[in-house]
Amino acid sequence: MRSSKATAFVLALPWIVTFGIFWLFPLLYSFAIGFTDYQLLARDYHWVGLANYVNLFSDPAFLAAIKNTFIFVGGTIPFTTVIALAMALLLNRSFKGRGLFRATYFLPSITSMVVIALIFTNLYSRGGYVACLAQLIGFTPPEYGFLYDRGTALYSIMAMDVWMSVGYYMLIFLAGLKAIPDELYEAAEISGAGRFRQFFSITLPLLRPVMLFILVINSIKSFQVFVEIFVMTKGKFDTATMVYFIYDSGLTTHFSFGYASAAAYVLFVIIGLFSILQFFLLRRRQPLW
Amino acid sequence: MVRPRRFAWLKYTALIAGLTIMVFPLLWMFRVALMDAGAGISLANIASSQFTLDNFADLFTQNNIGQYLFNSIAVGLAVTVGNILFCFMVAYALARYRFLTNRLVFISVVVVLMIPAHIIIIPLYVLTLKAGIYDTYWALILPWLVNPIGIFLVKQYLESVPPSMEEAARMDGAGEFRILFTIVMPLCKPALAVLSIQVFFTNWNSFLFPYILTQSDNVRTLPVALALFQGHQAIDWQHLMAGSAIAVLPVLILFAIVQKQIVSGITAGAIKQ
Repeated sequence: MRSSKATAFVLALPWIVTFGIFWLFPLLYSFAIGFTDYQLLARDYHWVGLANYVNLFSDPAFLAAIKNTFIFVGGTIPFTTVIALAMALLLNRSFKGRGLFRATYFLPSITSMVVIALIFTNLYSRGGYVACLAQLIGFTPPEYGFLYDRGTALYSIMAMDVWMSVGYYMLIFLAGLKAIPDELYEAAEISGAGRFRQFFSITLPLLRPVMLFILVINSIKSFQVFVEIFVMTKGKFDTATMVYFIYDSGLTTHFSFGYASAAAYVLFVIIGLFSILQFFLLRRRQPLW
Repeated sequence: MVRPRRFAWLKYTALIAGLTIMVFPLLWMFRVALMDAGAGISLANIASSQFTLDNFADLFTQNNIGQYLFNSIAVGLAVTVGNILFCFMVAYALARYRFLTNRLVFISVVVVLMIPAHIIIIPLYVLTLKAGIYDTYWALILPWLVNPIGIFLVKQYLESVPPSMEEAARMDGAGEFRILFTIVMPLCKPALAVLSIQVFFTNWNSFLFPYILTQSDNVRTLPVALALFQGHQAIDWQHLMAGSAIAVLPVLILFAIVQKQIVSGITAGAIKQ
């Protein structure tokens, strides 16, 4: 069937071309220049071996970026996952007004990240809404606003991020909950299992594939946090994350393409390892909880 | 099934608290956008200041927002049309033809699905510079004309469509491409609707790539303009929030109309595994 093979090839061509030019080539290219001192304005560039990688791990800015990224990922994902699951459980059974709640919870997920970051910049500002709330409950807000303080800037951005992403993961949890057959709960009810027992023995174990999916996509996304940092703090006050570092070293003042590409590959490896780890942890047959 | 209702009030309290927290920042944005441009953003002013549409008018008369809006819409439409056509073609090839090279194509789709896109910002920047498309619409359109999630979505849908109609048409001697576009494509309308909404939204909100691949006002999109608007002088919140409202309103309206498609687009990705 020569002709059908040719047809399939022609049909797949848009992807083959896009993949080659905009994915495979950039990936190989940046891997290669990661071993050079290539800069935008330099006349020529040289092979430097592993120097970029060695320098990265003695660069305080890069180490701080790794630390901030891990704080961001480790501090947002548990909250996002638990709150999203709680919301999904509240909205799982049908009742009057469920659609409205579901839609509103989801609203921030389709709103532009830039817009959300701008709104929260205002809310977090000096004498702004959040500062007033903090004072109301007897907490002294940072003098120049939450985003201008090393102790609060990153955590404020993280809180916003949880706020904005819970709705999305709630929807995925809802889809997962819907797939659990009602008969299981009926049987559990008949044999006298309470609500909590049902949750831990039926709901959680059966949600495991969904949970795995959510953790993996959320960590792939969270390791790449950039827009909110760029808009809200420009990486100041201990908020620079890894993608911010890549952007800052590669596409501002020095345009150090080689150095930034090496940093990108470090991030790539971290994300890859993290995904594999989660995959193995959640793939085990015995319940983890 | 009868369930205990003791905790119903607790449930509604939690739900309404959640609702308040989720909509509050968006309401705040609209309120500030409708305030007098001179007023400071204090709680007292938020409560008492009069409503005005002046900030929106100012954006169109004294700012480039019309241009940014046009850019966002133009790029968004081009990318969406590209994805409808190309994701469909690729998905059809993957769903209906199975042999080794096709498997390789499928693997490349899955791989890209897992690759963190932000790690290619440097090479993509260099590529657009060298190709001479830096700071043009092409840089914002070409890399995104077909996307792995879209291919997945349509492929999944196609696998539930029986090939009998195509086979009948083939018997009648219709050409492959005619079958594809006049018979199969109309059948895929639901999946393509979900796809186009998702692609348009993603593109409309996208910031990082449009930001690094452009530098002039006549190609910059709305989110990029908003993010950089801040930098000029002391922050002019009223106008900034009015601009933000302009960026959000189309999304809110579209969401109200096609909520179902959006939700199914989101969950389709989750169920596939």
